[in-house]
Amino acid sequence: MLLEVKNLNAGYGFLQILRDVSLKIDQGEYVCLIGPNGAGKSTTMKTLAGLIKPISGEIIFEGESIAGLPGNQVTSRGISYISEEMNLFTNMTVHENLLMGAYTIKDKQAIARQLDFVYSLFTRLEERQKQLAGTMSGGERKMLAIARGMMSMPKLVLVDEPSFGLSPQMTQVVFDSLDSLRKSGVTILVVEQNVNLSLSVTDRGYVIENGRIGIEGKSSDLADDPYVRKVFLGV
Amino acid sequence: MLKSLLARLFDWLRTAAGMTILATIVITVAATIDRGPYILVNTIVTGGMLALVSMGLALVFGVMSIPSFVHGEYFMIGGLTAYFIITPLQNYLQAHPNGVLNVLAPFIAIGGATVVGAVAGALTERLVFRELRRRNRTNWVMNCFLLTVGLNVILVNGHQLLFGADFKGIVNYFTGPPLQIMGVYVSLDRAIAFTLSIVVIVGFGMFMRYTRTGRAIRAVSQDETGAMIVGINLEGIMLLTMALGCALAAVAGSSLLFMYPSYPTSGLEPLYLAWFVVIIVGLGNVMGALVGGFMVALFKVLTVEYIGSGWDFVVPSALIMLVLLLKPNGIFGSEVRGVLDQ
Repeated sequence: MLLEVKNLNAGYGFLQILRDVSLKIDQGEYVCLIGPNGAGKSTTMKTLAGLIKPISGEIIFEGESIAGLPGNQVTSRGISYISEEMNLFTNMTVHENLLMGAYTIKDKQAIARQLDFVYSLFTRLEERQKQLAGTMSGGERKMLAIARGMMSMPKLVLVDEPSFGLSPQMTQVVFDSLDSLRKSGVTILVVEQNVNLSLSVTDRGYVIENGRIGIEGKSSDLADDPYVRKVFLGV
Repeated sequence: MLKSLLARLFDWLRTAAGMTILATIVITVAATIDRGPYILVNTIVTGGMLALVSMGLALVFGVMSIPSFVHGEYFMIGGLTAYFIITPLQNYLQAHPNGVLNVLAPFIAIGGATVVGAVAGALTERLVFRELRRRNRTNWVMNCFLLTVGLNVILVNGHQLLFGADFKGIVNYFTGPPLQIMGVYVSLDRAIAFTLSIVVIVGFGMFMRYTRTGRAIRAVSQDETGAMIVGINLEGIMLLTMALGCALAAVAGSSLLFMYPSYPTSGLEPLYLAWFVVIIVGLGNVMGALVGGFMVALFKVLTVEYIGSGWDFVVPSALIMLVLLLKPNGIFGSEVRGVLDQ
């Protein structure tokens, strides 16, 4: 089991969001976390990424307990977090942002290879290598955030709302890139507003509501589930 | 090729940054022709010192969002340390006037002062700001401002308590005839102080631009969360940044000990001038602070020359008012993100 989360409780200051959240992700899986707004999807991601310190509960990655570790130590253990806000370095170029993404990698040749891989997935980014990140359009910045997250050669990628604010073509490019990432052996946990899309590409899914995990199961089963269909797919 | 280069130069000259730099150079040259080469020498030497102190301040403000009103004290600490290193050395050298130590001693003093300045900065970060960061990040900017004012009081009075209120200075670092550069006599001390400031500035610039750690510092100043998620150790960078910024101030204070003796409040003037620079060029803009250092030094020199030495703070203050009215983000643009949002 690559990642095991047991009874995770977390929140912001006095406001507790997550209540006894538990999930499991196996090596190579493509898992989605779906739920209504404010349910705790982003909070879950941020806590897994080490940006929020949990109140209680366990996060076990590759057998090691990582709950409460700061974000940079989570990254160096092989978990890459691609935030909804993107958190790009706006005064650096596309190229510099990508190099920063590889901050934890010492091997220069590995970095060069990863750069080639990432540019092959996002040709738009290669064209705009020297452009400052702050001057790019929303879609391009999203692509850059995902590309930067890939640069650290992670074992597990946490993607928060990859398609948010993107046009259908860009969404396709982004999900194609996640697919390529998956094929290269990386495990992916994705939080996504577009329930239809996420259930169609992922293996398994968890439904989170009011900070608690509700239904879980294979994505194809969830897509057929009457509750999911009513609440999320408007059927 | 030359044509396009010239075209780009003219475009840049029409920006606020270009115009001010050009104006500074023109005015310096005009004043030098008018009053004599000492204008140029004073501007350059004071400019180098102010650039170092201001760059340190801009660094701390830009990366850590700390509006430091204690920054001048590291200049004072630099001078103080250098004084206590060089004085016994110079006593020894009086009995042994020949030998390498004559040339090395000032650098030992300046080097030692830099290390002490860096350590002082590191301690400040560790004992004060890291604790605040752990406790509460609301009202960060205001809280830090108040903390640094308090620290300033402690350090000023600490100096007086431990070392007395006397002026601790030296006549010179290097004995020897002044250099003659293009018909101008420049004392060895000033020439070496200026050269040192240039070497440090260039070294610092290259560090920030080309090293992994330098890029990490820039990343933290642009997006703290982003820096964390790419694996940068935030605490380590904060510690390093503070140490670096304070070391820059200490280099300035120690290398100019012959001009600015150390005494309890000797850090106040560099503090105020550095803030003038940082406000005029744009908060957090480190490279702008470099240029701004020379600009404000020029204003000071000219004011003292043409109006009178009592007015030397009036001109920069008036300029700040102008800048805040016309271009509040500073001449070169501010690089702090939403300071008021924090």
